[in-house]
Amino acid sequence: MKKTLLLTYVLTFMFALSAIAQQTITGRITDDSGEGLPGVNVVIKGTTDGVTTDIDGNYRLSVPGADAVLVFSFVGMDPQEITVGSRTVIDVQMASSATELAELVVVGYGTQSKRFMTDNVAKLSSEDIQGVPIPSFQNALSGKAAGVRVTQQNGKVESGISVSIRGTSSVSAGQQPLFVLDGVPLINDNESQNTSAVNPLLSIPTSDIESIDILKDASSAAIYGARGANGVVIITTKRGKEGKAKFSLNLSSGISRPTNKRDWLNSDQYIELFLEAGDNASWTDRTFVEGRFDRYSNNTWGTPNQFDTDWQDVAFQDGHVRDIDFSVSGGNNGSTYYLGASYNDTKGIILSNELERFSGRANISQKVNDKFTTGINFNYSRVTIDRVANDNAFVTPLQAIAQSPLSPTHFGPDDLANGESGPFTRTVYANFLLQDEFGSYQTVVNRSLGKLFGQYEFTDWIKFNSDFSYDIFNQTEDSWDGSRVPFQSTQGEAYASNVLSTNYIWSNYATFDQVFDAHALNVVVGTEYNQGNRRFVDIESQNFPSDDLQTVTSGATISDGDGTTTAYSFVGYFARAQYSYQDKYVLKASIRRDGSSRFGSDSRFGTFPAVSVGWILSEESFLDGLNAVSFLKFRASYGELGNAELGNFPSRGLFQGVSYNQRPGLAPTQPGNNALSWESSKQTDIGFEFGLFNGRVSGEIDYYKKQTDDLLFEVPLVPSSGALEINRNTGSMENSGIEVILNGDVIQGGDLSWNVGINFATNKNEVISVPEGNDIVSGRNIIREGEVLQSLYMIEYAGVDPANGDALYYLNTENSDGSIDRGTTNDPNAATRIIAGSPIPDVIGGLTSSLRYKNFDCTFTFQGEWGASIYNAGGRFQSANADWFDNQTVDQMARWQNPGDITNVPQARLGEGNGSGHSTRWLQEADFIRLRNITLAYSLPTDLISNAGLSSVRVYATAINLLTFTDYDGYDPEARSDAAARTVTPSPGIDFYSAPAARTFTLGVNIGF
Amino acid sequence: MKKNIYILFAAVLVLWSCEDRLEIEPAQSISVEAALSSEANIKGILIGAYDELGQDDNWGGQMQVISDLMGATNQLTWQGTFIQPREYFQKSVLVSNTWTEQMWRNAYETINQVNLVVDNISAIEDPAEANRVEGEARFLRALAYFDLVRHFGAQWQAGGGNTGPGVPLFTNGITDYSGDLSIARSTIAEVYAQVIADLTAAMGLLSATNGEFADQYSAEALLARVYLQQGNYAGARDAANNVIANSGHALAGTFAGAFNNDSDGIEDVFAFQVTNQTGENDLVNYYADQPTGGRQGDIAVAAGYATLFDDPADVRASYTYVSVDNGLNLTLKYSNQFANISVIRLAEMYLIRAESNFREGSTTGDTPLNDINAVRARSAVALGTVDLAAILNERQLELAFEGFLIHDLKRTGTAVGTIAADDPSLISPIPQDEMDTNPLMVQNTGYTN
Repeated sequence: MKKTLLLTYVLTFMFALSAIAQQTITGRITDDSGEGLPGVNVVIKGTTDGVTTDIDGNYRLSVPGADAVLVFSFVGMDPQEITVGSRTVIDVQMASSATELAELVVVGYGTQSKRFMTDNVAKLSSEDIQGVPIPSFQNALSGKAAGVRVTQQNGKVESGISVSIRGTSSVSAGQQPLFVLDGVPLINDNESQNTSAVNPLLSIPTSDIESIDILKDASSAAIYGARGANGVVIITTKRGKEGKAKFSLNLSSGISRPTNKRDWLNSDQYIELFLEAGDNASWTDRTFVEGRFDRYSNNTWGTPNQFDTDWQDVAFQDGHVRDIDFSVSGGNNGSTYYLGASYNDTKGIILSNELERFSGRANISQKVNDKFTTGINFNYSRVTIDRVANDNAFVTPLQAIAQSPLSPTHFGPDDLANGESGPFTRTVYANFLLQDEFGSYQTVVNRSLGKLFGQYEFTDWIKFNSDFSYDIFNQTEDSWDGSRVPFQSTQGEAYASNVLSTNYIWSNYATFDQVFDAHALNVVVGTEYNQGNRRFVDIESQNFPSDDLQTVTSGATISDGDGTTTAYSFVGYFARAQYSYQDKYVLKASIRRDGSSRFGSDSRFGTFPAVSVGWILSEESFLDGLNAVSFLKFRASYGELGNAELGNFPSRGLFQGVSYNQRPGLAPTQPGNNALSWESSKQTDIGFEFGLFNGRVSGEIDYYKKQTDDLLFEVPLVPSSGALEINRNTGSMENSGIEVILNGDVIQGGDLSWNVGINFATNKNEVISVPEGNDIVSGRNIIREGEVLQSLYMIEYAGVDPANGDALYYLNTENSDGSIDRGTTNDPNAATRIIAGSPIPDVIGGLTSSLRYKNFDCTFTFQGEWGASIYNAGGRFQSANADWFDNQTVDQMARWQNPGDITNVPQARLGEGNGSGHSTRWLQEADFIRLRNITLAYSLPTDLISNAGLSSVRVYATAINLLTFTDYDGYDPEARSDAAARTVTPSPGIDFYSAPAARTFTLGVNIGF
Repeated sequence: MKKNIYILFAAVLVLWSCEDRLEIEPAQSISVEAALSSEANIKGILIGAYDELGQDDNWGGQMQVISDLMGATNQLTWQGTFIQPREYFQKSVLVSNTWTEQMWRNAYETINQVNLVVDNISAIEDPAEANRVEGEARFLRALAYFDLVRHFGAQWQAGGGNTGPGVPLFTNGITDYSGDLSIARSTIAEVYAQVIADLTAAMGLLSATNGEFADQYSAEALLARVYLQQGNYAGARDAANNVIANSGHALAGTFAGAFNNDSDGIEDVFAFQVTNQTGENDLVNYYADQPTGGRQGDIAVAAGYATLFDDPADVRASYTYVSVDNGLNLTLKYSNQFANISVIRLAEMYLIRAESNFREGSTTGDTPLNDINAVRARSAVALGTVDLAAILNERQLELAFEGFLIHDLKRTGTAVGTIAADDPSLISPIPQDEMDTNPLMVQNTGYTN
């Protein structure tokens, strides 16, 4: 207010206008929705004269004459200037300014104005996430929010997606944030039975999403108590607005290719390298290799008919993606509705990998009377996925890159005489085409999400909400291995499974909202009950009369079956109060007490408090002089959160039924630990939000520090004790970093506007303490005090001995004086493992640009990660100087051949393991920058389409993953093996025959009418 | 207004009662206390221990493959793509070898299960039943420890102190894993002593027959094998003799009749049970081609095996077929993927008795020549005379691919190609995860990591 006056003084000085005549103007100022807007400044330009609007938005002001210009301004709204002219009544509708400060943010059991928020919440609107033609909505978050890392495991269409907010705050417990859609915590368990993960949230189409709010700090997430430690992602679906029905239609279609291919040996190179490897082998000779060539090549090698198969091209296919979304929304007489339907058909880049989804949603609400509003949200979706095996299976398509280029893909016509037809069988590894052509694996997810809600307004400041929401996740899987599938010897095998997972939640909460003069108070108090049940059955049969009969019932032998049930429940009590004074000082506190069936009765309940403060400095008089600063807020928060994601019965000592010779038996499955309880995380966040030049430039800077104590650890036990792991609360870990967000309206004009948003975040992860200080090593990952969680741990490759071609490794053993012996050895058993890299990036960031010129617009997002390493565990087969008959990457041609050769590739010695043990030889930095998406669009002029009864037509072209900049030699710096996805502690940073992401080009049109 | 507050109060109270619903019990599992408290459950744990030791990590196949690959020179070749068995075939095993790790882990899982059975044997009221259950448990424990000490410790030296490192000895079951579990390796002598004590006890506790489970003669036959490994030929001879004379088992009428049996054959003194629903036969996985239930014929019979045969018409020499996958010769011993896995065949008892009698200069039961010819009767022409070399050769002809090779070479001091029988590279490394978690563990010679 004072600042505005100051501004007026300056203007006065500059223009020095004097009053001539007097004239009285009245009017009403309203907001977007037509509501009267109190407190708007109305000032005569160039003078100090001005008034503010009253409670209904009315004002009255005398002006000097018709030339006078009125300046209307209000925080969070675009200022307007209007020349008085001959008018005596000037009504103005103010529009929200481009800054985000006026936005409402969904925070769980309510919404809050971004301006007064003391929390760190990233909000993405439907515009931010639309137009990314990928079935998984999480992909749309990539690069858009500071400190939020989204990684799709690999290029399979249904592939699992990991979302991490501010680093990884858990070891053995869940590492994913809690996803809440319209109030229901979503079932987010990968239920795939073939170990390759399926993203459980595939069922949710982006077209239904109105906004995604990511609660990053403890102050915002604490209201979710025991489940908020990894952050909370709140998804709000679209609702209708009162008014005429709006129809929207979106059609798009596109093609996909792998983002990357690798160079493999051709058949001549293959022959050269492997004959040499045979010559160099001490246990055999080249005749053995030639015998193998005969077999692999169907006796064609060295003849004019020699094959030169590029198996990579056989494993990949040209994919496509097609989307159709249709919606109608509107409202009248107190009712609003949104009805949406969508269809997605995605053919992946990996042979036989396809997905089809259709989904329908109805969100309807009715204001029954002045006090009572009720409604229902309902969604049904069906996803059908044709799948391939996990990355560690011989029959997964991408393992075909290991096949010899000498092998044909199929038998030729000449082979028919020998009774051989179809895919060639004498390959190095089982030919995946046999699986592809004679087997199938289909996953179908039927899911329904719904909510029935009522809101009763007792007075204008007390309301009570009761929401009942549910999530029904039903997945069936059917697989068939025909008699010709590799390793099939039981005349066919069929498998069928069904998972029914249900989750319902009943929330009751009351909201008190009161303003007394300069004091504003908002209080939410509530309780919640949440129950999840899971039922699983499967059955397998063998011995089929015909390969045409492919369902379980036709098998003569029922060979396996399971039936299990499990459940969990949570009871929660929560309260949150926010108090603000003079719209400048904000204090917020919340507390939640949660109990869960997952923990023993001694430690069943946990309490999770949070407190935060905000100070809007730009409202203070001492900042009046800083005209450039239109908004400045300081905020700080501290809170405690829990993590309860460690299975349903993690504390119990358990035995389970087993069978031997079809007789029932018992076996221990889990050592007990009665003291097991919540993993608790304490997070501090300090930040500034600012707006400069009337919000043309805005941003946020935050520092966060999150310490997780009582880490839920699957502590490895001494294997000779007869058990491998025990769940314990032990150890602690810290994540800290800085997040920066900058948004700039670089150009604001009628025809041309350009907005650029940049975000980046640092994350320093450090394991503070582990059980008894002992390293925990699992495969190539180590958890060690003072290091990044699950650091990559292996012996260090030292290149090749020029004298004899032996692979060398640094000893890295500790000398008696404590120094490290950097001598080398050719015996991998003599070398000591070292921490060789971090699986987690130090810095992640994104840059989004939106440019509009007249009817054209162009938007793109770059995303980058720095500081992580990736270990290609397939390297010891793929790039192992012809250790076995796997086809090799072309760089292996640079192998050592003669004494004195300087190279990094050891001498080729068939089967002798020269340099083929796990080592840093295949460890690389995974830094990358990726042009995640770019869209070019043209909106048809309104006058052209209005005759056709349309309100908008927008044609667009989009490319996903168009460019990738990386030094990583493998398929993709983001791809990770999905083979370990079902274990609770996956192996991060490991690539193993993992397919790259798809590069997709689509053309589409949005039509509104 | 007052009414409204009552409504709110009521809503909160409704939720309060939901706290009862936090009591949820697992549906597929029972508590440790329940598992150890009833007779039926103790017997169930024993059944579970058979299932455990019969898994592919141990007797389901990987362990026998390891034994044969480590001893192989020219009898067989590893053709497969798996690196872990190839390391054994190359006699250069890395400490990170996951087959080694699985062999170790699974044996100790079994040991803990049978320890729990023995510890809680008082839950079984009928003394005869208690004896049977305890006897079987002790048999399985002896079998697991004997395998461990043979793979992870040096060869027993007859007349030596055998004070070198064996494996950790746990003889009490563990249910409380909260304490310090680190444990040092017992000596080779201590482990053998435990094995012999368990088998001796089991022989006294078990009856002469016990269905498909271990009986008195299973224990005695295993004892014969243990004594043979120790060079205690008198003990081996007497145990083998008793099994041959009194167990009721007989040699199968044909050589093929001894293999690929869905249920125990007459010759099986003890076998792990496999059906199409339970159990694992991974020997088929590695020895057979795809149509026969295997991979691609990962282990092929090589030319050197044929040269061992004195009788070209020996049916055992031609007990092979050509793999449709790689065109190589594969053994027919593993051509039924749901066949039981023989642990002890009576033929082995004849071979033990023959060798022991020969070495002791005795003829307990029968002469070495007669015993050898008894084994050969169904396969090859009878021999006129035998010497030690012929007896040992006969073991290879009869028992090839059944997991005997490296142990026979070690006990007879026979080099594996150019590698001396006592070379450290022929002893498996202590698995990496045991080294990483157990501060008292000492790695075997030759493995520093």
